[in-house]
Amino acid sequence: MKIHYLLGFCFLFSFGLQAQSDYQNEQQVTATLKKIASNKNAQLKSLTKTAGGKDIWMLTLSAGAPDAHPGIAIMGGVQGDHLLGTELSIKMAENILQNHPEALKKTSFYIFPNLSPDATAQYFSSMKYARQGNASPTDDDRDGKVDEDPYEDLNGDGIITMMRVEDPTGDYQMLEEDNRIMVKADPNKGDRGTYKLLSEGRDNDKDGVFNEDGAGGVYFNKNFTFGFPYFEKGAGEHPVSEVEHRALLDYLYTQWNIYAILTFAPENNLSKPLKYDKGKASKRVITSILENDAKLNEMLSEMYNEIIPKDDAPENHGEGGSAFEWSYFHFGRLAMSTPGWWPEKAKGDSINKAPKDKHANFLRYAEEQGMENVFIPWQEVQHPDFPNNKVEVGGINPFAMTHPPYPLVDSIAIKHTDFILKVAQMQPELQLVNLKQEKVDNNLTRITVDLHNNGLLPTHTEMGDKSRWLRKINVYMKVNGNQQLISGKGRQVIEKLDGDGTMQLSWLVQGSGKVTIEATAPQAGTATQTINL
Amino acid sequence: MKNYIYKFICVVMVSAFAKAQSPQDIFQAAGTPSNPKVSVAFNQYYTAEGLAEIGKKIADAHPKLVKRMSIGKSTEGRDIWLLAITDSSTGNPDRKPGFYLDGNIHSNEIQGGEISTYTAWYLTESFGKVPYITEMLKDRIFYIVATINPDARNNYMKEPNTGSSPRAGMIALDDDSDGLFDEDGYDDLDGDGSITQMRRKSATGDYIINPQDPRRMIRIGPDDVVTGQRYEMLGREGIDNDGDGVINEDTPGYYDPNRDWGWKWQPDYVQRGAYKYPFSAPETRAVADFVKAHPNIAGAQSFHNSGGMILRGPGAEEDKDTYNRADVAIYDAIGKKGEELLPGYNYLTVYKDLYSVFGGELDWFYGGRGIYTFTNEIFTGFAYYKNKDGDRDQIYDAGKDLLLGDGFTPFKAYNHPTYGEIEIGGFKKNVGRATPGFMLEEEAHRNMVFVFYHAFHMPHLSVGDVSVKSLPNGYKEVTATIVNNRLMPTHASQDLKYNIERPDYIKLSGAKVLAGMIVEDADFNVTKEQKNNPESIQVKNIPGNDKVMVRWIVKGGNTMTITVDSAKGGLVEHKVK
Repeated sequence: MKIHYLLGFCFLFSFGLQAQSDYQNEQQVTATLKKIASNKNAQLKSLTKTAGGKDIWMLTLSAGAPDAHPGIAIMGGVQGDHLLGTELSIKMAENILQNHPEALKKTSFYIFPNLSPDATAQYFSSMKYARQGNASPTDDDRDGKVDEDPYEDLNGDGIITMMRVEDPTGDYQMLEEDNRIMVKADPNKGDRGTYKLLSEGRDNDKDGVFNEDGAGGVYFNKNFTFGFPYFEKGAGEHPVSEVEHRALLDYLYTQWNIYAILTFAPENNLSKPLKYDKGKASKRVITSILENDAKLNEMLSEMYNEIIPKDDAPENHGEGGSAFEWSYFHFGRLAMSTPGWWPEKAKGDSINKAPKDKHANFLRYAEEQGMENVFIPWQEVQHPDFPNNKVEVGGINPFAMTHPPYPLVDSIAIKHTDFILKVAQMQPELQLVNLKQEKVDNNLTRITVDLHNNGLLPTHTEMGDKSRWLRKINVYMKVNGNQQLISGKGRQVIEKLDGDGTMQLSWLVQGSGKVTIEATAPQAGTATQTINL
Repeated sequence: MKNYIYKFICVVMVSAFAKAQSPQDIFQAAGTPSNPKVSVAFNQYYTAEGLAEIGKKIADAHPKLVKRMSIGKSTEGRDIWLLAITDSSTGNPDRKPGFYLDGNIHSNEIQGGEISTYTAWYLTESFGKVPYITEMLKDRIFYIVATINPDARNNYMKEPNTGSSPRAGMIALDDDSDGLFDEDGYDDLDGDGSITQMRRKSATGDYIINPQDPRRMIRIGPDDVVTGQRYEMLGREGIDNDGDGVINEDTPGYYDPNRDWGWKWQPDYVQRGAYKYPFSAPETRAVADFVKAHPNIAGAQSFHNSGGMILRGPGAEEDKDTYNRADVAIYDAIGKKGEELLPGYNYLTVYKDLYSVFGGELDWFYGGRGIYTFTNEIFTGFAYYKNKDGDRDQIYDAGKDLLLGDGFTPFKAYNHPTYGEIEIGGFKKNVGRATPGFMLEEEAHRNMVFVFYHAFHMPHLSVGDVSVKSLPNGYKEVTATIVNNRLMPTHASQDLKYNIERPDYIKLSGAKVLAGMIVEDADFNVTKEQKNNPESIQVKNIPGNDKVMVRWIVKGGNTMTITVDSAKGGLVEHKVK
């Protein structure tokens, strides 16, 4: 027992000293989170366990009761092959706690570092591949059999890449300027395909398709309600079919103070904002960002681009079922999403022109940057399904184009911390200002006050204003038994206030003594004024 | 001593009960099980516990026909009881084509509970007596959930309500966005158990009492000369419980369990009533989990009230394209038969004829699972006088002529904390939407036979002609025709579009299979070979009132068996002679 403790201690100790050199696996993430949670401003909670028995962690950062302040949610591991999101959200938590604790006096942070723990585990397994599905068994090809055609690591390098099969009926050919890259042959340009390009593995179920139904699962980032891609691989049988989705949504739907969500995922509305489309925005089922929200997105985008240049950012505004689309269209919050990092384009020079092909260009960039393990060279293998063809396995490391070399992660996390703290400084903040009381008569007082949103962000996005899941502003005029409200309401509901917006309210009160005015909305805080009549 | 008395009372009660059941005193009315093992009065309604008890009695009395199970717990922790009814002496129950029916998804729409229970009762009491039922239970299974909303069913019955409340389940929601949940519901001020109307004498009111019928209020027209007392209507009975200046603005709920289903679900802003996400209410989730685990379900029915409608989807206009011509033809055939079986009911489409909403039960059953599903809106004013021309106001005549005044609370004076002197009265909650007792059994029976017609036309597979032809070199050619002699295919066209359910497998065992193929045209010998796994031929579909033909080339095979294995069409075995 004692030895056990000692070993654990040694592990923690060495872990603390050694700089991390690669993305953290499940045990490391858990250990780091527990360490973070020892801070007085942090709390760690497991929302549920996935089908694979892994925790869905939630880290809450706040000074005092989390519900007392407007909140921001940060989601990582939203796509199972995006380990960077997990790393960034954890490092942002550390940054905020250590370097910006004052921010927690005004804003609470709800951090979900890894929402795809079943899938991210694949990165650390002996057969590494870009997995998105959780551990729920699914019939991906809808043929009545479950998980019957997985990948196989044919070249035994521990990574699943691609296979090219020499075959005159194939549609692929080598790219002229870089023959490591396979591209589709275009017969209209006089090209003839001589290769088949397939993922690495066998056709276990002999249906003519390779590796189409491997282990798992439902993709976390494809199982949300907006634009759900029915019956597509990874989508699940219906939206929110998985335990982790339900746990997350059940939590968020009752967390009334959350006004913004930052999602680390391939969807990106920060480098380039969503565009308002009047036609789509006017339909009963809204599929375009609304006009006022588009302006907000533009403002956030400008802020983001100043910190993280938008050059070469891949465009992705969501293809249905994603967490980001849900966070705006169905949850109505200020929705932000970014992959966090993407490779720059190699520019080349007059002699060494940069390749136009996306993959070849990336290989050039990786070479310039000295990135390692980016390409697995083509290697001939014996393939039982192609006994008479030359088959080679190789290709770009499936994580290389979405993950920076690990040493860069710290600086990326700092930049995103700076960004989210800028957002927090703009958050909606209710104030009661310009309080005035006039004696209409001896025993009759008119009270006038301006309800002001001191934040630059509105109390409700235009989309959130339509949702029952974002509470309206309640304004109370609290009078005691000796007083009577002659005009004006004891409680009134105000739909919303724009950023820097103001609304004047007034009451006629009979009697004397103290009255209290309170304006409150969980996502915009509470303002109180007490008046002596 | 006490125990003795109790026993004595029990004996007296049982003997009295038994006497009433004496078979020689009963003459069977055609179409109704006579001297049933379980006696149930179908001229009254039952609470969730009442229905559960009848379900248990049915299950206990017919152990070979009924399996009773809880498919989940409601919000308040009640079991959601399901009766699985089939002839368990033949075949694997869960491999028979299944028919799912439920009632009461909307809390106040209670008849479904009794109609579902009547169906379970009728099936079990008629098995072995009515050949149609005996046959039906041999090759079909019925999954019957009398109420999928037990909490709010009880709330409707036991708490003061209108005929239309509550519609939601019992998850508390903040309807007025004040941070409080369900804090300002109705109040039964006059203590009659129902929420009726409040009215107040007012010199400027725009109603008067109908001089010919004091139960009715007449709206004053702009040119009317009014000499009588004017009234203003103040809405449903209640007070401002939370002191916010509004009455009854946060009643139990509000969400709509019938906007909670997983086909093209849309949130609350699109149509009021959606909760958090599909199957976010425990009751609908329990049903969805059951249905996902039972791919044999091929037909389904849910019961609502009211209006006399046999409804099919789509629920939303935006979802029009989901229902294609082939499937609509099947819906039409069953729906039109329903109009004959249910006089006063009309076969309609939800989005066109009712309202256009997403997230309905029938939409998920069909769109998400490929199950042909109807929703019946039980009861219509037609029933009172069997008269198609009757309007809403005939309730006043029927209340007097047929209900003899039962179900109406005459207006009485009441001193309201906000409104002062008012009068409260009106129809009670059990009038208007819930079928009156004397008509309930008939309505249950007619809806049940509609269900049976639908269930009858689920796919029914058999192995038809099988020919074995000797080929040179000791090979044999085995050709089999698989017949589906009912209306529904094994895969709805919605199913085929998305491969919702796996293909049907036609397997040959007892011989060495060398090749297998689907025969596309027997006359011209057009075949499509299945190279992989030829002993189990995969067919995408076995269409309704149609056949498919398959062929194997085999060696050996003196005792061959053909097995048809279809998720929705069942499992059929045939020994080749």
